[in-house]
This record gives sequence, structure tokens and C-alpha cells, in this order.
Amino acid sequence: MNYASWPVRVGAALVDAIPAVILSGLGYLIAGPSADDPTIGPLYYVFALLSLVYTVYNRWYLGGQGASLGKKALGVRLLKEQTGQPLGFGGAFVRDICHIVDTIICYIGYLFPLWDAKRQTLADKITGSLVVKA
Amino acid sequence: MGRQYSVPERLGAFGLAVGAAAAVWPALSAGAGLGLPCPLRWATGVPCPACGLTTAAVELVHGRVLASLGANPVLAGLALLTAVTVPLLALRHLGLVRPPRPWSPQARRRAEVTALVAAAASWVFQLHRFGLIPS
Repeated sequence: MNYASWPVRVGAALVDAIPAVILSGLGYLIAGPSADDPTIGPLYYVFALLSLVYTVYNRWYLGGQGASLGKKALGVRLLKEQTGQPLGFGGAFVRDICHIVDTIICYIGYLFPLWDAKRQTLADKITGSLVVKA
Repeated sequence: MGRQYSVPERLGAFGLAVGAAAAVWPALSAGAGLGLPCPLRWATGVPCPACGLTTAAVELVHGRVLASLGANPVLAGLALLTAVTVPLLALRHLGLVRPPRPWSPQARRRAEVTALVAAAASWVFQLHRFGLIPS
């Protein structure tokens, strides 16, 4: 198997994050709390919602089809180890929930692809998913 | 395929990135108010074996070795690995050193046990540092 390397996966995650950061950042700039006006305007929540919609579409819909925007850009795919098929919306969602395990041990789970034989994070191991070169 | 770089080499290169990040981290965190929250300590008050690594990295790249060792000695190990493997990587790219050979299953097993023991020792150290184990 041609597993994706850790730097490539980090790159894909960064690309995935860019639109979400821009959307929520815009909302914060336009309507977020500031020193002279601590109130939060309704536009803040509109942009936060847009950021969430993007995340649902990108990570779980596109991710469930085999590649989020970041993974497409970096040329890697997210597949089920057993079948070699994409995870589907629910599978990609459950995998992201499992990222809690990677996070709770002080993010070390995200470093697992550096040494793991199948380059899996703990979330990948739990859900039986692989990230491979497309 | 997939054995282009050995695990120590990958960790060593990661250490290089950590060093670069640690060099700019204080400016970033002070300017933007960024911080790396520890989820386990936030939720339970108990530090995990990786506690203090950010502090240790920042202290080490700024030359404060003792402060770094006091925060988390594991980081000095990573720095040592980086110091050994990065020149090795350079030599390999020049074609002076042969490509890495995969470890035997026994060697892999031994490395895993060693890593687990190191993590356990690091945890005891951190629990002591936070006063959860009295001296």
C-alpha cells in the first residue's frame, strides 16, 4: 500500500482549515466583540454557521466520498482498509468524532502516522480507515 | 515503497520542524494570544506524559537547557535524535549512506516497549512536577 506521509496529511488538514478560518475570521472582524464594543452582532453567528456548513460539506460529505478539498489538493484519498472504498458521510463523521482520542492524549494521536506501520492516527485505527496516495 | 525514510529519520525531521516552530512560538503566542490548551489537563486537572513539551521546546531553542529539562526531558531526547538523524539524512541524499533497512519484528517490539517505558517515566515526572506525586 502507498500510504500518505505525515507532512502531506498535515498539509491537507491545513488546506481544509483555510476556508473555515477565513469565514469565522471574517465574522469576528465584522461583528465580533472589540475593546470599545463588547457586543456580538448577528453577522458573527451567520459567518460561524457558514463555517460549520463548509465543514459538514467538506469533511463529511466530500471526505465520505474519498477526499476532502485538502486531500484532493494534496493528492491523497481516505479509504476503508477492509474494502478499499470511501467511508461515506457517516463513516467520515464517526472518524472525526474519534479524533477526540487523538486530541485527549495531548495531540499525540495525530503524530502516530510518523511511526505507525500503516501511517494511521488512532481515529484511523478505531474506524479502520487509511489515507493513501491517489 | 514506504521505506524511503526510516522512523527515526522521520522523527528527526519532525524535531527540526518543532525547533523552527519553537523559535517563533513565543512571538506568536504573545502577539495573538494563541496557546496550545492541553485537553486532558483542562478536563481532569491531571497532566499527560506529553505535558510541558511546548515549554521544553521553547526553552531549548533559546538555549535554556536546564529549564527545558525541568519542563520535560523527553524533548532533549528528540533534539538528540534530530542532531543524529538530520546529518544522516543529508548524507543519504548525497548518496554516501545506504537506504534504511526495515527493522526486524523483534527490534520493532523492543522499540515499542522502550517508548512505552519512556512515556510512563515521563508521566511520573509530570505528575511529580504538578505536585500530584509528593516527593
